[in-house]
Amino acid sequence: MFERRLYYHIDWALLLAMLALCGLGVAMIYSTTADPTRGVSRLHITQMYAIVLGLIAMVVTLSFDYRTFTDKSHLIYIGLLALLVYVMFFGAVQMGARRWIALGGFNLQPSEFAKIGVALVLAKYFGENRGTPAWGDLAIGGVLTLVPLALIAKEPDLGTAVTLLPVFAGVAFLAGMRMRVLGLLCLCLLLAAPVAWKFGLKDYQRSRISTFLDPSQDAKGAGYQQIQARITVGSGGLTGKGFRHGTQGQLRFLPVAHNDFIFSVLAEEQGFAGVLVALGLYLFVILRALEAARLSKDRLGTYLVLGVLASFTFQVVYNITMSAGLAPVKGLTLPLMSYGGSSMIATLAGFGLILNVRMRRFTN
Amino acid sequence: MAIAEDRRTVAGRLSVLQYFIALVFSILAVGFWVLQIAQHEKYAELAENNNQRTLALRAPRGVLFDRNGTVLVENRHSYSISIVREQTTDLDRTIRLLASVLGFEERSVREIVERHRREPTYRPIVIIQDASLQQVAAVTARRLELPDVLIEPIPTRQYPDTMAAHLFGYVGEVNDSQIAGGDNLKSGDIVGQSGVEKIYNTLLMGEDGAKIVVVNSVGREIRTLEEDPPTEGKRLQLTLDFDVQKAIEDAFDSIGFNGAAVVLDPQNGDVLGFTSRPAYDPNAFAAGIDRVKWASLMEDEDRPLNDRAIQGRYSPGSTFKMAVALAALEEGIITPDFRVSCPGHANFYGRDFKCWKKGGHGSIDLRHAIEQSCDVYFYTVANMVGVDKINKWAAALGLGVMSGIDLPNEVQGLVPSTEWKREKMHEKWYAGETISVGIGQGQVSVTPVSMAVYAATLANGGTRLTPHLLKAVDDGTGWKPVPPPPPQAQSNIDPEKMQAIRDGLWMVVNQAGTGHNALLKGPDGKPIHDVSGKTGTAQVISNQGKAAAGNTTKDLRDNGWFVFFAPRDKPEIAGVVFLEHGVHGSNAALVAHHILDTFFAKKDGRPLPPKPELKPNLVP
Repeated sequence: MFERRLYYHIDWALLLAMLALCGLGVAMIYSTTADPTRGVSRLHITQMYAIVLGLIAMVVTLSFDYRTFTDKSHLIYIGLLALLVYVMFFGAVQMGARRWIALGGFNLQPSEFAKIGVALVLAKYFGENRGTPAWGDLAIGGVLTLVPLALIAKEPDLGTAVTLLPVFAGVAFLAGMRMRVLGLLCLCLLLAAPVAWKFGLKDYQRSRISTFLDPSQDAKGAGYQQIQARITVGSGGLTGKGFRHGTQGQLRFLPVAHNDFIFSVLAEEQGFAGVLVALGLYLFVILRALEAARLSKDRLGTYLVLGVLASFTFQVVYNITMSAGLAPVKGLTLPLMSYGGSSMIATLAGFGLILNVRMRRFTN
Repeated sequence: MAIAEDRRTVAGRLSVLQYFIALVFSILAVGFWVLQIAQHEKYAELAENNNQRTLALRAPRGVLFDRNGTVLVENRHSYSISIVREQTTDLDRTIRLLASVLGFEERSVREIVERHRREPTYRPIVIIQDASLQQVAAVTARRLELPDVLIEPIPTRQYPDTMAAHLFGYVGEVNDSQIAGGDNLKSGDIVGQSGVEKIYNTLLMGEDGAKIVVVNSVGREIRTLEEDPPTEGKRLQLTLDFDVQKAIEDAFDSIGFNGAAVVLDPQNGDVLGFTSRPAYDPNAFAAGIDRVKWASLMEDEDRPLNDRAIQGRYSPGSTFKMAVALAALEEGIITPDFRVSCPGHANFYGRDFKCWKKGGHGSIDLRHAIEQSCDVYFYTVANMVGVDKINKWAAALGLGVMSGIDLPNEVQGLVPSTEWKREKMHEKWYAGETISVGIGQGQVSVTPVSMAVYAATLANGGTRLTPHLLKAVDDGTGWKPVPPPPPQAQSNIDPEKMQAIRDGLWMVVNQAGTGHNALLKGPDGKPIHDVSGKTGTAQVISNQGKAAAGNTTKDLRDNGWFVFFAPRDKPEIAGVVFLEHGVHGSNAALVAHHILDTFFAKKDGRPLPPKPELKPNLVP
């Protein structure tokens, strides 16, 4: 299964860039949560365990030929749906949402793994069909995406649910979906928006979007986070306020700074310079992964890479935009940097597949 | 072929994605550049405002001491509870919750907030100045629900209950007209609103300090960046003698009348004691008086807020006779041996004027006329002197003019003159009116403080001193004495003539006069310290008026006066006791006795007399 020569084809540069981002994340988590006046917080330690677990998961997804996973993708997909259904009924409730399965001290968030499941099943489906996908193919791919999406949106976790859409869009796009169809889909989304606004969104979601358009209309409520995010980022300046010297994050003007707003903290404490470094690392990771898609020996591999990469990229771009106060606030984490075990493990496992595709580009 | 095309498509679309992503990241970088570099200053300032607060540290007001160093007015720590609107998300909810926690009416809390609506939101709006420990505990317990409510320890004035309440005055939040008046006052400052607190406010106020603190998102203080400690107000030593003051208060408590008393050092005008009754408790103002208490003080018919000692004007009655005597002596109209025959009444200008003694005093000279308070003698002398000369000499002694005491809002008394009547009433003065003036009735009206000056001027032989309260100031570098203000007037009075009047006043107390109650006796039972004085019993309404009023709930009993000094020949204390509806001047002498007894006991090194039990004579 793991031939020695494959070892030389592992994309070490990509791995290194990812680990650098993980390290940045741990440092920022330490900065915002370790408060000597309140006793030592262990969140950064927990995050390091998550990274180790993630690397183990990565080794697992790396060790078997990715075709083994796509061959079993229908089973993996069905298993994930079962988990999501389980969460719906028996999941642990935190902050008003039912998203987690309690596993004795560790909360597993199946929705994070759903992205990989969908990427696998879509890669397999479109990879087996040659030529431009027909309407029927698109419909089936759409349904495969929408079922877990609906289950996750119901938790409710609209943010994570939406990250499944780029998976479908990315794979379908690469599979040669006609631009006309793409345009039509966009049109449908646009038309669906008012309907979704009226019936699909909860009050807090609506208020988040409307305050994004005009944060000052509710400066103390939903607009607060957005204004504070801009202040946090803007006050960082060129070189930042220094490690653990950010006032906005340290004094808790930003909510969940170690999680959703970790990039704001980086921007505040390390300034524009730190931002450029982090943006560069993410860009490198993404372009390098695209390279893996290009190098893949088969379409299955290309689609798989892009499926995994699409939700990752979407999440990175959205979260960074949001952490500068330039997008509505959503509970979307920044992959590799934000605090959170499930996200870390799922991301690293996903990248294991990307490394897998690149590594096995010469095998049959 | 199909495969190759397919590949091209994939490769092409991958390139599209590559460029697209590179573009997105470039836009992100530009976005951060705009926020972090181009608009950095704006956001840096916003971040600073976010987490830094400047808090005022209230300076304690200066402590007041008596002439011997006894603390009279000091400061204690109290807790104020305020709303900081900057931290508020729902002001209505905060007001509702806070009112219920404090046990207040929601409406009154809302009114306070409304009053300060236009101030900057970071400035705390004080809801309660002097919270009880229960209130502090209740708010602390709800702290998480009330992140916008601030509990601050602040120095608060502590007065000796009602003692010398009108003299000390009270403090309160500065009002708009005071801010407009300058003096660097700002909204929320606590300033003196009456009494010594008001007149020496600039000395007492001190300088507030400030503290710049870092706060977190719920407004909790994390650490102090900078602290400029407050400067305490200057400490003032007053001329007041605590023991004399206490004697005055005790005697008034015991005798049960309203009134006033002012006691001076006749050599320099130091105010040794000063009271106005009924009094109020200035502590109630120190911590922000509530509307109910304020209304009850304002509506009280006894007018406790009115400082009778400097604002009350009353007929002096017989105590005025020394002014008439001095005018007659100094104008050369009579000598002390001048005699008048008193049959119990006398006719002037076709009208019959009665002496208080029905049978009359017979032939009587000046000394005995003062001792016996013979009305006919002074009708006669006043008629000879004329009202303008009486006015002149009364003013020389301190009556009908301002005393100049260092207290706000003193009122001027009145001793009539022909000029006054022409100016005010546009009428000619009738000689017949002078007769009543001779015994201190008619239009004559005086304030107790001017009567104290009068007593002191008689005592020291003609120097009309300025009564004053400030003896020394300590700005932190040691006590610096404040020289007494210059006398208001100095009259060249023949000492022999003055001595005749003083003899009469000595006889009032030590011989057959009405001031016997004020006589001081040594341990051996013999009179000591040559107390001299004069009683006065002044009608508050004419006899006809009294008859016309019939049965009324209004108190129509006569006012009682006693002016005094002692010892006669080298006076160390002079003053006045005024009893509103005190029936007799001799009742006022009872109060004066306790004051004098205390003053001389302290001076002689005897134990101070215990709190007296005075039994006034209530039979008219």
